[in-house]
Amino acid sequence: MLSLLTKSRNILGMNARNLKYIRPYNLKPAKRLADDKMRSKRVLRKSGIPVPKLIGKIRSRGELDNFDFASLPNSFVLKPNYGFGGEGIVIVYGRKKKVNNTWIKADRSVVAEDDLKTHVRNILDGSFSRMNIPDFAFFEERIQLLKLFKPYTFKGIPDIRVIVFNKIPVMAMLRLPTEASGGTSNVHNGGIAVGIDMATGVTTSATQYNRVIEYVPKKRLLLSGIKIPFWQDILELAVKAQDVSGLGYLGADIAIDRERGPVFMEINARPGLAIQNANQDGLLGRLKRVEGLKIKTTARAVAIAQSLFGGEIEEGIEDISGKKIIGAVEKIKFIDKNKKEFEIEAKIDTGAYSTSIDTELAKRIGFEKTIDDFNQINLSEYKFIPGDGEKIEADFMEKYGKKLKKLENAAVVFSSSGSSLRPVVKTVFVMDKEKVVSRVNIIDRSDLKYPMIIGRKDLKKFLVEVSKK
Amino acid sequence: MYDGFIEFAVSQGVPLSTVTLTLMLPIVVTIIAFFRQVIGIKAFGIYTPALVTFAFLAIGLEADSISKGAQYGFTIFVTVIAIGTLVRIVLKKFRLLYLPRVAIMITIVSLSTLAMLIAGGLLQRTGLASVSIFPILIMIMLVEKFVSTQIEKGARTAIILSTETLIISLICYFSVSWSVLVAFIQTYPWIVLFTIIINIILGKWTGLRLSEYFRFKEITKYAEPSHKK
Repeated sequence: MLSLLTKSRNILGMNARNLKYIRPYNLKPAKRLADDKMRSKRVLRKSGIPVPKLIGKIRSRGELDNFDFASLPNSFVLKPNYGFGGEGIVIVYGRKKKVNNTWIKADRSVVAEDDLKTHVRNILDGSFSRMNIPDFAFFEERIQLLKLFKPYTFKGIPDIRVIVFNKIPVMAMLRLPTEASGGTSNVHNGGIAVGIDMATGVTTSATQYNRVIEYVPKKRLLLSGIKIPFWQDILELAVKAQDVSGLGYLGADIAIDRERGPVFMEINARPGLAIQNANQDGLLGRLKRVEGLKIKTTARAVAIAQSLFGGEIEEGIEDISGKKIIGAVEKIKFIDKNKKEFEIEAKIDTGAYSTSIDTELAKRIGFEKTIDDFNQINLSEYKFIPGDGEKIEADFMEKYGKKLKKLENAAVVFSSSGSSLRPVVKTVFVMDKEKVVSRVNIIDRSDLKYPMIIGRKDLKKFLVEVSKK
Repeated sequence: MYDGFIEFAVSQGVPLSTVTLTLMLPIVVTIIAFFRQVIGIKAFGIYTPALVTFAFLAIGLEADSISKGAQYGFTIFVTVIAIGTLVRIVLKKFRLLYLPRVAIMITIVSLSTLAMLIAGGLLQRTGLASVSIFPILIMIMLVEKFVSTQIEKGARTAIILSTETLIISLICYFSVSWSVLVAFIQTYPWIVLFTIIINIILGKWTGLRLSEYFRFKEITKYAEPSHKK
């Protein structure tokens, strides 16, 4: 029980959210702006934030009677102005052919002008607004689904929720519409919430109905590792929106349009708490860390967010496995023959068993004599036939092992570019602060990009993450 | 035995049951507030569970039995919600505006409730048959709450919230029908003011709700106790 208490210390609950964050930081005028979708759209647009284009609005029954439905485009979204939780939204994807003023929804069902009118009447009556106050309806441009998200999405459009506090984006999630959520990205109705690493914009873990899932339901499609495009822009938009809206504790909803890029959907004065499960991290801990920081520019705010709340994926795995995470190319430190430290770049090659270094590099770290002597030896007596490798190595070592200085072994390497017998020496290098003692073989790599490749034998203490830079 | 204040109220013609029930209301709403803030049971706000509790109390008083109050109250509650759901499914096809739709729903629910009361009489459950109009009206009004929740937050949420309302109302009902508590309040009515202090504490409470330990189970399961940097 005690461990449960310490672990949950960083979780933001409803009580704390309302009392410590929404009450003091989201004042009434800002909240009213957030609840009024059309006005907040206008305010955002005026400060240069891209929002979906407004197509038309209906504010009263009179306006409804005079509204020309034929003027609506083939695809649009109909929204209640004071709606919340994604309720009362109708999305149409195209016009039905040969039938006047009839559209098709994502689930192929048909919406006629009369259906739209009934829906608008319900909106005007306040069926979807907070406290059922009379409302008005508006039509806006439909966001086009990004190709990247297509396999992950059931109908609808995914969006990105960013929580911004004290100008700093503290946590983010990608919300994916599912069959269960009926194509809305509402996570309470079964939409998938995917946590995002703040530094890289790469998805980490995912939840549906507050339970961790790994794959898109019914598909073998991993939810982690999705790189959200325009990540930097999205964070900047979220920070800007906080400034414009006056909401101190803001939930920014941003979608990505196939052509326009990031488009700001909504500002939210009471963002939900499910984002914590998606990120498997508590909001309270993060909020406390940015409280009271003085931030001057948007760029600075984004940079702070990225350095404070990024890299959790790596650290997490490093903690669990005790292994360091390295990329496909890593910086390696060597000591040269004059005891000076220097750095080179090496390619990490999990397809190779052992590590190879270039002749020049070997010379630089003190194996010049060994290489020169090795080159004197006539190797034509050996025929490199697969399977004979060990025999040749043993034979070579018996004949020359003692004569060559610092020679540890010889290695027969069969590679696509031909087979060769290579000298093997013992050396020490440092990769990602980890000291590695290795027996490396020496070969001319002067025509290759990297002077060193590191094979599996030396990667036991590491995990390779190919997207790491 | 009774406090001077209560004796005075009674001597002025206020029925003892009314005095007691009124003094119980602060306790009921405090229990509801506690369940919301500390346990995390939402129910339909604070009025609905409080009213339903009093409906149960009224039924119990009339039947002169605490268990019957709960029993009949429960039956009427479940019937009203069940019929409300059925009617909503049927009415959905007609695409009616909100108020006329709720009006039809209340009509059908009240007729069904009447039928149930008559059925109770036929089955020799005279306690059920003689339930007064006040508790029945409260229960029927529940339908409006239920329907608007269904529209706004979906059927699942509406059913969860109804169940929570029922549970809280039953807990409140049994608490305030507990003879020890009743006697205590009748002896020391001023103790009711103590609920204000409890509510001030609840109003400043920023800890996690019990339900949130379950909701965020996935975080506590995997997260290391924060040690980063």
